[in-house]
Amino acid sequence: MILKNLSKSYDGKFVVTDVNLSLPENKVISFIGPNGAGKSTVLNMISRLHKKDSGQIIFKGKELENWDNNELAKNLAILTQHNNIQSKITIKELVSFGRFPYCQGRLKDEDEQKVIQALEYMELLDIQHKYLDELSGGQRQRALIAMTIAQDTDYILLDEPTNNLDIYHSSRLMKLIRSLCDKLNKTVIMVLHELNYASFYSDIICVFKQGRLEKVGNPTEIIQHDFLKEVYQVDFNISHIDGKPLCIHF
Amino acid sequence: MALNHIKLIFLLSLCTLSIASYQFIFVNFDFFSFAMQLRLPKLLAMCVAAFCIGYSSLIFQTIINNTIVTPCLLGMNALYLLVHVSLVFIFGMGSFIVTNTYLAFICDLLVMTVVASFVYSYIFKKTKYNVLYVLLIGTVMTTMFTSIQNSLIRAMDPNDYDALLATLTASFSNINIKIISICFVLCLVLYFIFKKDIAKLDVMTLGRHNAINLGIDYDKTTKRLLICTTLYIAIATALVGPISFMGLITTNIARTLFKTYKHSILLSGSVLIAILVLITGQLIVEHIFTYSIPVSVFITIAGGLYFLYLVLKQSKGNI
Repeated sequence: MILKNLSKSYDGKFVVTDVNLSLPENKVISFIGPNGAGKSTVLNMISRLHKKDSGQIIFKGKELENWDNNELAKNLAILTQHNNIQSKITIKELVSFGRFPYCQGRLKDEDEQKVIQALEYMELLDIQHKYLDELSGGQRQRALIAMTIAQDTDYILLDEPTNNLDIYHSSRLMKLIRSLCDKLNKTVIMVLHELNYASFYSDIICVFKQGRLEKVGNPTEIIQHDFLKEVYQVDFNISHIDGKPLCIHF
Repeated sequence: MALNHIKLIFLLSLCTLSIASYQFIFVNFDFFSFAMQLRLPKLLAMCVAAFCIGYSSLIFQTIINNTIVTPCLLGMNALYLLVHVSLVFIFGMGSFIVTNTYLAFICDLLVMTVVASFVYSYIFKKTKYNVLYVLLIGTVMTTMFTSIQNSLIRAMDPNDYDALLATLTASFSNINIKIISICFVLCLVLYFIFKKDIAKLDVMTLGRHNAINLGIDYDKTTKRLLICTTLYIAIATALVGPISFMGLITTNIARTLFKTYKHSILLSGSVLIAILVLITGQLIVEHIFTYSIPVSVFITIAGGLYFLYLVLKQSKGNI
């Protein structure tokens, strides 16, 4: 996926300015940066939820706008934080929607299998018949992630996936994301707030600040005292565990 | 779900029962065909209106992702009446556009579609589908449309006004029978035109982001469904006049009765409940209250209370 001169403004104010980025396949890529840095907006433009003002997004050799909607849904999945689902719908039914691009609502055996698999991944099998409005925030989030997994796309985009999840489920999710990439050859692009998750689980980190792409690199290149201090305006204490940088900022 | 299908069948039989009793109760068999002639068009009109209201309200709720908003609450039927009055105001009652019932009706529908899809999609976009704003603006618009309509009526030639009144005040005791056949045909045509979009409603309940993620052209589908809703509401209003809260009652009972997201079931349920409420209500009004109180009064009172209940219940969470 290649981004060229990507820009977006709201009411004359630029929220994303001139982003140039080339994202390799089969990697876990994290977008980090302070609030209002434009990382979610970039993710939303990549996933066609927001229209871009100018620039190009080239996905699998073809410009994003020229993709057929349904075809794109088989190649790229996104999960955002805006999920206000009011209908009476069970976890399993929600996850089954992940198969919609393939079967338009009429599930075949193969689809059914993928749904069960996704439920298993997210440890939702025992509560699969519960209604969504009976769930806690974390369970809901897991159900939505399971839907994205059932969609079985090469690219998975996640906007703050660890929101609402406790430590057990967020670290499990990060491991799952790693295995999606390593075992199933998926490309995962996500917006993260926890620097250490980004550092430990991603191959590439893109740092945004005030709508601009500041730096792209592997965790060791990014998690550096002076650079992070400049981006976040906070003092960091950086140490290493298993050869990976760990930063503490209390 | 098998349970939901059983409920649907049960509802269907209740509807059939009420339709049959409306049609045949207290019929004097000496004048059988005369009675049928009187009752059948009315029955048909009510069924068509019930279908329009039950169907469109549910679609509308899914578009806006909220279960307490209905097209009527946002002033759609007030808009229809305004369009009709404006037409008479501009062309005069003597013009062939107005005197020809069909032509007038088609003109109403066309103008209504253009105006409503413009106004409502603009409002939805501006408020970013924020229900509280939409509801507030809707209330203001209802009043505004009605006020403009009243001003037009006051400024109108008294003869025109007199003639207009007959077509304007459609109600259950004064059903606009002339247009029943065209309404029936239109409903069928609309049903098939928008069938494909209706099939996407299940996915659209997941919200804009998830629907787009699953490959739906959300904005285009929303616009088409909004037009669909507008037309159905216009048809219902032309036939039986405005009944606020009708859509609210049917959709919410349907949602409580059938705990599902599947619109095939919800839509059928909503339509059946609308038919049941309207026809049973009319039956009671005709034979128990002997026309002293129109059925829309009952529906508005019950619906108003129900609306308050729903708002209060929902406000514990978030609207």
